[in-house]
Amino acid sequence: MAIDMSMPVLVVDDYNTMIRIIRNLLKQLGFEDVDDASDGSAALSKLRAKKYGLVISDWNMEPMTGYELLKEVRQDPGLAKTPFIMVTAESKTENVIAAKKAGVNNYIVKPFNAQTLKTKIEAVFAES
Amino acid sequence: MALPDASHFDRLVALLKQKRDNVTFHDIIALAEISAQSLQSFFQALDATLYRELREIARYIESMRHEIGALQVNDLKNSRIPAAGEELGAIVRATEEATHTLMECAEAVMAADASDPAAYKALVDEKMLVIFEACSFQDITGQRIAKVVETLQHIEERVSRFANVVQAKDLEGFLTESERARAERREKLLLHGPQLAGAGVDQSKVDEMFA
Repeated sequence: MAIDMSMPVLVVDDYNTMIRIIRNLLKQLGFEDVDDASDGSAALSKLRAKKYGLVISDWNMEPMTGYELLKEVRQDPGLAKTPFIMVTAESKTENVIAAKKAGVNNYIVKPFNAQTLKTKIEAVFAES
Repeated sequence: MALPDASHFDRLVALLKQKRDNVTFHDIIALAEISAQSLQSFFQALDATLYRELREIARYIESMRHEIGALQVNDLKNSRIPAAGEELGAIVRATEEATHTLMECAEAVMAADASDPAAYKALVDEKMLVIFEACSFQDITGQRIAKVVETLQHIEERVSRFANVVQAKDLEGFLTESERARAERREKLLLHGPQLAGAGVDQSKVDEMFA
C-alpha cells in the first residue's frame, strides 16, 4: 500500500530534542503534517480531536507512558486501527513482547537512524 | 549474672522452722537481716555485670558517634550532594543548549537555497563554525561529570568504611514508601530505561520478533 504523505503524524515524546529529531526525519521522508505531544494523555486528547494516520511514540513518559497510550488506543473503537510505532530505549525482550501483545505495529530501538525509521514506516503500511 | 547465695536461704528456712509457733519482733528483724545479707551478694554481682555491660554499650555508642562523624553526613547533605545535583543540572542544560544549536544549524543548512553556490557556501561555512563552537560543551560537561564522580567516590569510601566498622547487614527487600511506589510503577509498566551496550535486545532482534 502506498503511503499517503499528506496524512497527519503524531509524535509523542517527553524530550523536545527527540521530537525535533523525528520531526526533521519525517520532513526529510516527505511528511509535512506532523504534530507532537509530550506524554500519553496529551497524545490521547490530540488523537480524539484529529484523525492521525500514524502515531510514533516513546515508551517512558509521565504521567501516561507510551505503553499505556498504546493500550488506550487499541481499546478505543474510533482509534483502534491507527498504526502505532514505538520508538524507545526500553529494549528488553519482555518490553517488545508486551508491546506486540498490546497491538504495536512496529518497534524501533533508540538510538536509530533515518533509514530505520523509513523502513519501519514502510513496513507498517505494507502490512495494512 | 550471679544468683543469690543459697546458704542464706538455708539459714532463713532454718530460722522459720525453728520459730514456727512463737515469732517475735526480734525474729522479724533477724529475718530481714538474713534476707538483706542474701540479696547483698546478688546485687553486688549484678552491679559489676551491669556496670561492665553499660561500659561496653557506652564504648560502642562512642565508637558509633565517631564513625557517624567520619561519614560527614552534614557535609554530604548540605554541600556535596546538592553541588553534585547542580553539576548534573548544568550538564543537562549544556547538552540541551548544544543540541539545540547543532539542530538549528542543520535545519538552516537543509532549508537553505542552494541555487546561489557562493551564498550557500558562505552559509554552510558560518553554520559549521557555530557547530564547532557548540561542540565545546563536551569538554565542560566532561569536567562537570568528573566532579560528580569525585563526589560519588567520596560517598562510597565513607559508606564502605562505615559498613565495615559496624559490620552492617542489609535488610532484605527494604524500600522506602516512595521507592516502593516507583518500583511498583516500573514493574507494572515495564519501565527499565535505556540498557547498557549489549544488555538489551538490538534492532535486529526486535525485527526478528516482528518478522
